[in-house]
Amino acid sequence: MPKDNKVRILVGTRKGSYVVIGDRTRRRWTVGPRAQEMNEVYHVVADPRHPGDLYSAANSTFWGPELYRSRNWGKTWKEITTPLSPPHKARKFDGGDSPASKVALKNLWHVEPGHPSQPTTLYLGADPHFLFRSDDLGSSWAPIQSINRHPDRKNWGPGAGGACLHTILIDPRDASRMYIGMSSVGTFRTDDNGRSWQPTNKGVECPFLPPGQRYPETGQCVHHVAADAANPDTFYRQDHGGMYVSHDGMAKWTRIGRPLGDDFGFCVASPKGAPGRAYFVRLDGAGRTTEGHFQVHEWNDATRTWKKLVSPKQFPGHFGVHREGIATDDLDPPGIYVGTTTGQLFVSPDAGKSWRLVPFAFPGIHSVSVAGPSSG
Amino acid sequence: MVDVRLDNWLRRYGSPAKDRVDARTVQQLIEVLEGRYPGLRLKLRDETGSLRPYVRVFVDGEDVSGTTATATPLDGARTIDILHSIAGG
Repeated sequence: MPKDNKVRILVGTRKGSYVVIGDRTRRRWTVGPRAQEMNEVYHVVADPRHPGDLYSAANSTFWGPELYRSRNWGKTWKEITTPLSPPHKARKFDGGDSPASKVALKNLWHVEPGHPSQPTTLYLGADPHFLFRSDDLGSSWAPIQSINRHPDRKNWGPGAGGACLHTILIDPRDASRMYIGMSSVGTFRTDDNGRSWQPTNKGVECPFLPPGQRYPETGQCVHHVAADAANPDTFYRQDHGGMYVSHDGMAKWTRIGRPLGDDFGFCVASPKGAPGRAYFVRLDGAGRTTEGHFQVHEWNDATRTWKKLVSPKQFPGHFGVHREGIATDDLDPPGIYVGTTTGQLFVSPDAGKSWRLVPFAFPGIHSVSVAGPSSG
Repeated sequence: MVDVRLDNWLRRYGSPAKDRVDARTVQQLIEVLEGRYPGLRLKLRDETGSLRPYVRVFVDGEDVSGTTATATPLDGARTIDILHSIAGG
């Protein structure tokens, strides 16, 4: 990652993207210039294989979904190719293709840099429940039809945020094994490089279905999933129906959130520097905000216990946090970063022992990610 | 030939402020513009060919936006304005 040893928080907001720059102490931050200021930026992410490369999934109310790339840590940005919804097999920027699709691409949700062994591969998740792959760093895109035309698709509907494909996880041991998460559909896994996908929602409850029907094969409204950096078969899941862990590559899920009472929320992150730990922002399931103060809950997977990380008196208020609203860095102790729908950016430089607010009022925050040095 | 006046925001995609186009319908007019200024592709219309919901087309001052906008004939028209709605917050 960065050779300059800087830590960069990449923030996607309702009114553009920001790069917030600090150092390894993670105690002082400089907010950089805003980009894509007319767009709802659902995700900004760095490509660790190409230091300096950032991608921004920027959705314009007026001109449609747009994908931008920076090759200099966000100093300048350029629009690159946005994929077309199927049936187009592939698209290159300014390729002159004629409009023919039946369904328009609504929003771009998540950009995932490919496996390190595939340095020019990117994945893109979009609404309505579409997955795309690029093998030339976004110069062209091809739809992954095994998902986009999945036989179960007729049963898929949108969640409140849309029909979004928002989570893409690649097994660090094997580029051909991937996991995806889709609102109101659930999680799927491929072991053959995307040729086929199997639903992986066993044990995840759908509390919005009638009794006796609450554990379907698909239909779960997964909000976000994080992989454990030390054990690629372990995943932490924030679902509409609660908080879960899987230790077997999503073959089955165990609910862990019940001790918290209402275990609703949208986001989860697990840091490289603290294996077996996952951080959730629990929200009141009715109001979709924190209950009176900012709070982050830490799950310890070894002891199977929860810990509150923020003093209830430090940040009073009702805060909303979206599915990409929490991130962790690779330092030791890990930093935790949380962006809120009312524009606060909270930072803990020490795995949750202390918390600070970046002194800048952002537009409502959709996403937070981090590009920084590792502890090694 | 009709005179076309284009939204200032479209300049970031390579659009000029004004142009002259020979077209029989709004769809033909947009296709000509997309050919001349490739950055406009997928900005005015989505991949189904429909005008995006917040793109407004005026033919001699009359708003023809809507589901049938692209089929609107331009017989005798003199000036086309392509704007975006005032929306958001």
